[in-house]
Amino acid sequence: MRWQDDLQFYAFHFMPYLDKPQGEDHDTDSFWVDYSNKHFDPAKGTQLYQRYLSELALADELGFDAICVNEHHNTIYSLMPACTLTAAALIPMTKKAKIGVFGVPVNLVNPNRLAEEYAMLDVMSGGRLEIAMPLGTGMEYWSNTVNPTTARARFREAVDVMVQAWTQPGPTSFEGEFFNYKYLNTWPLPVQKPHPKISFVGTGSPETIEMAAQRGWGYSSVFVPREVQIKTFKMMREMSAKYGNEMTPDKALINTIIYVAETDEQAEKEAVHHLEHFFTVLARTTPRYLNPPGYVSLDQFKIRAASANAQHGGFNWEAIKKDWRVAVGSPQTVAEKIATWCEEAQSSRVITWLHMGDMPHWKVVKNMTMFAEEVMPQLRALRSQKASPKKLTVKTGGKKNGRKKAVSGKRAKARAA
Amino acid sequence: MATVKAKRKAKATQKKAQGNNKASKLVAGVFKRETLKVNGVDTVMYVGGSGDPLVFFHGAGTATGIEFAAPWTKKFKVYLPFHPGFGESGDGEFNCIDDYVLHYLDMFDQLKLDKVNLVGLSMGGWIASTFATQNSHRLNKLVLVAPAGLKVEKHPNQDIFKLKPEEFPLYLAHNLDTFLKFLPAPDTPAFFDFIVGNYRETTSWARLAWERAYDLNLPKWLHRISVPTLLLYGDKDRIVPWQQSKEWAKLIPDAKVQIIKNAGHIVLDEKPEAVTKIMDFLSK
Repeated sequence: MRWQDDLQFYAFHFMPYLDKPQGEDHDTDSFWVDYSNKHFDPAKGTQLYQRYLSELALADELGFDAICVNEHHNTIYSLMPACTLTAAALIPMTKKAKIGVFGVPVNLVNPNRLAEEYAMLDVMSGGRLEIAMPLGTGMEYWSNTVNPTTARARFREAVDVMVQAWTQPGPTSFEGEFFNYKYLNTWPLPVQKPHPKISFVGTGSPETIEMAAQRGWGYSSVFVPREVQIKTFKMMREMSAKYGNEMTPDKALINTIIYVAETDEQAEKEAVHHLEHFFTVLARTTPRYLNPPGYVSLDQFKIRAASANAQHGGFNWEAIKKDWRVAVGSPQTVAEKIATWCEEAQSSRVITWLHMGDMPHWKVVKNMTMFAEEVMPQLRALRSQKASPKKLTVKTGGKKNGRKKAVSGKRAKARAA
Repeated sequence: MATVKAKRKAKATQKKAQGNNKASKLVAGVFKRETLKVNGVDTVMYVGGSGDPLVFFHGAGTATGIEFAAPWTKKFKVYLPFHPGFGESGDGEFNCIDDYVLHYLDMFDQLKLDKVNLVGLSMGGWIASTFATQNSHRLNKLVLVAPAGLKVEKHPNQDIFKLKPEEFPLYLAHNLDTFLKFLPAPDTPAFFDFIVGNYRETTSWARLAWERAYDLNLPKWLHRISVPTLLLYGDKDRIVPWQQSKEWAKLIPDAKVQIIKNAGHIVLDEKPEAVTKIMDFLSK
């Protein structure tokens, strides 16, 4: 299947804690792990949860295919240390969109318990759950009880437990290195059979890619340069074939930073300083927290040590535009970029980060609405073969004047209707 | 911190570095480098001197090298092995202190070392004390230098995982220069190699001690150490406080305590007198 024929848009939210740290505390080298929770104001927290949940509910109304949440600990980057709770809150607030729990690091919890929680979400939502399984950032291991030297082995085993719990009629037993069950017999079981769709989330480590290829699951690559991600997907495509699995475009999930406004200039003016907040404040942490002992292989460590802290605390707008999938611009600009990215990654799953850093509510609503009304229709129109001659130009080269050939938003809208 | 430039340089000089290890340069003529295959693990050790065997178990980092041990070779045949997962030795599946204890039993058997004088520093002291609870018959005497392994509520170990890289030297040494002289200059290929090597050793240490750098069962069994034991500390040790010596001395039947003034955790590198005291204790 071509990516154009299966294109879906996921709205992702980090739900950061928005604060203006003052003085000494603003100079901290990390807003993760040890940034004191004395700075947390519960009243502000309540407001933020209500606001953020409403933004995701709006995504459902606007026709996004999925709304996504994820989990981090001890940080202002995310107010979701238990993202299955966020997902549960979203179920009655939404009707159509899939609920993407992207997700709980499966090795930080008891996997039977997580199998139960995910099954509950799938049953309560009538089969709307989609799952992504991250290893968790290095920072999570400073904040939880799992030895980072066992992270990967534990992750692998936890996945085995969950799949067994969902796919083999219980009771079964499980004897592992880390987890032992005398009676694995999960109630309830998911609506979707054999289980909801699952992807792994990673930064390109070959082991995780191989796990995805072997199981025939998806892969979502984050916090590594776009070029590396494309290579990752290519490697996964080859590995999948080796395991007899086809890597369809829905298994390559791409993460995008999006801001749509009337013009390119207007979009940059409205958005860039919020992106800067994301990178320089929310994502700021130290190499030590990023790489707890044994969390990465020595080879991976060498790569990370050489590139130091660039993505967690620095802000080089030109480098970010080059390395990340950032589309800040008019509906045309954004649509073209997304089409290019989908083409080069052979991806039909576009995870959009529409709330960035300390972006205020009105901008998030504007951004989401313009994206849904003026970008999504252009791209959805690619689905129809009939539309192809006059449709949006999908560029794989860097031809500047290609932009002129792009279809206007109005025309795309009319076609979508 | 390391830079991309440093990495590139590191690659270019990698080949050169391989045949040019630090330990051999420091002690040419005193120690000989030997490699022994122990249960599949390439175990590298520096061996020198003659006399009764003295085996030294190093701590959780090997940056300070083996220079300090040269005086011992005057009276003993000194064995300085690198633990698996550390320094120049290879890797193996080592997940608990007993793995190391049994590794060294294997090694002693292969070397036909019936009875040894065993000296252990920090993590090495934890291995040595555990070894001694099970195998006192393989020991002449035991020396524990600022050993890890015991939980002492009033004077706990510093959790070294919680130290920032820039804080680390201040915790290791009382006189900073005694540690800094072992460090390569920042932003050099050698410094990049040091950071990578350090990550490997910290990972090996984390397999044993991420949760805790002690064994809650050890106090139950220290009474089984039946050889004369010396406990030696620097009085300015910020990682393993000397006050812990009282607890060890209470539990080990024949133990005496020696505190060295104005020395930190790397007391053997800081104070030649500490090295001498150990030699005196072992030769008596």
